[in-house]
Amino acid sequence: MFELDLFELTKATVTMLVGLTAVLASLGVILCSSPIYCALYLIGHMICLALLFLLYNAEFVAAVQIIVYAGAVMILFLFIIALLGGKKEIQEPSTERSLAIVFVVTMLGELFLSATVGPTRPVEGAFDAQTVAEVGGSAKAIGLELFSRHVVAFELASALLLVAAVGIICLSKFSYVPLRRRMK
Amino acid sequence: MGHQFVLLISATIFCVGAAGFLIRKNPLIMFMSVELMLNSVNFLLIGFSSFQKSMDGQIFALMIMTVAAAEVVVGLAIILTIFRTRHDMDVDHINTLKG
Repeated sequence: MFELDLFELTKATVTMLVGLTAVLASLGVILCSSPIYCALYLIGHMICLALLFLLYNAEFVAAVQIIVYAGAVMILFLFIIALLGGKKEIQEPSTERSLAIVFVVTMLGELFLSATVGPTRPVEGAFDAQTVAEVGGSAKAIGLELFSRHVVAFELASALLLVAAVGIICLSKFSYVPLRRRMK
Repeated sequence: MGHQFVLLISATIFCVGAAGFLIRKNPLIMFMSVELMLNSVNFLLIGFSSFQKSMDGQIFALMIMTVAAAEVVVGLAIILTIFRTRHDMDVDHINTLKG
């Protein structure tokens, strides 16, 4: 009994620490002036979120988070930064900016107020940790659900990815050329 | 950790992302802020799917990741095209369509 309590306590502490690190890394993303540091902070944030997913029993989504976000998407960001040159941004205070800060702080307060209410009616689904382990892990459980009840969403997602691929080929191949350069 | 922790962390990250989108001028960092907002919602979905013992939240998070990947690819291609034609990285200067 005591060891179980110790385990729960350690898990709670680790969850709290990783959550705070994720928040700090997200602050680093928006406060750094150089895009390359923002990208590095964003990678740290993604990894913290993957750890949080692991702590909330979502192993498959944590792996996908690492592969898709911290891997593919961030490599894309870093390539674009390397291509365009990470120029530092000069921050000057302006009225619009202070308005934006006030708006965001108000939104944060409202969200915190709504968070104190909590769920009104807890729902008990069929997939507790025991069932997921019996099925054969979270990847298999997700697969069983995805290919039975959510198969239409899966097909639509594949169509979306195809459209995005065709779209960027069009964007990069038939890109807009200004008129005066075309006349030469 | 309970519902409150997930809600508070997720709300904080979402608001940080919204603030970054509003106050930054570099389109790349604005895109990173959008990623922050999408990720905070992912964390909320994962946390609640764990509390409610359901797989639907995780499948939602996977779908959000798919949409985010498509969005990032198209958005970065647009940024690259704009930079190729204008050689300028400030969103305040891109006002050709402004009425």
